[in-house]
Amino acid sequence: MIEPWIPAVLVLVVLIALALVRLAAGPTAPDRVVALDVVNTLTIAAMILLAIAYGEVIFVDVAIVYALLSFVGTLYIAKYLGGDLP
Amino acid sequence: MIEEIVQAVVLLGLVASAVAIWRFKDLLAAAVSFGVFSFLLSLEFYLLQAPDVAIAEAGIGAGLTTAIYIVAIRATERTEEGSA
Repeated sequence: MIEPWIPAVLVLVVLIALALVRLAAGPTAPDRVVALDVVNTLTIAAMILLAIAYGEVIFVDVAIVYALLSFVGTLYIAKYLGGDLP
Repeated sequence: MIEEIVQAVVLLGLVASAVAIWRFKDLLAAAVSFGVFSFLLSLEFYLLQAPDVAIAEAGIGAGLTTAIYIVAIRATERTEEGSA
């Protein structure tokens, strides 16, 4: 049986490339912030699939740290765009 | 074979986001592009099976550096002026 994990990662990476098109072409800053958030989420999904592909449990912990940090970064940019940063 | 294709796409994304950082005149857009660059770089570290380096890159690049850039942009100007 052929392992399907690495082709699934390839699909996610192609989706990241499509989100980069929005990052480069987005006319306003919120478009680019949404592109950043999409890239973050797809990266976390790719990391979990790679953890299955490599067969290492410790690699899932990296994805957990990522999920927390991407939330903090996006929240900070959103607070700046909203104008109520202390 | 297919892992090399994945790595090639990630590296092309790194080049594209680096060019975007260089081209943007809106500094907030440049900071967002730097966040994307950092995330793709840590995905590449992950593909090279160095998860501790990937954790450090995520903590410093995605979390801390973007927030500090936002603080700096708040304190100064948002758009790059006077350059070509």
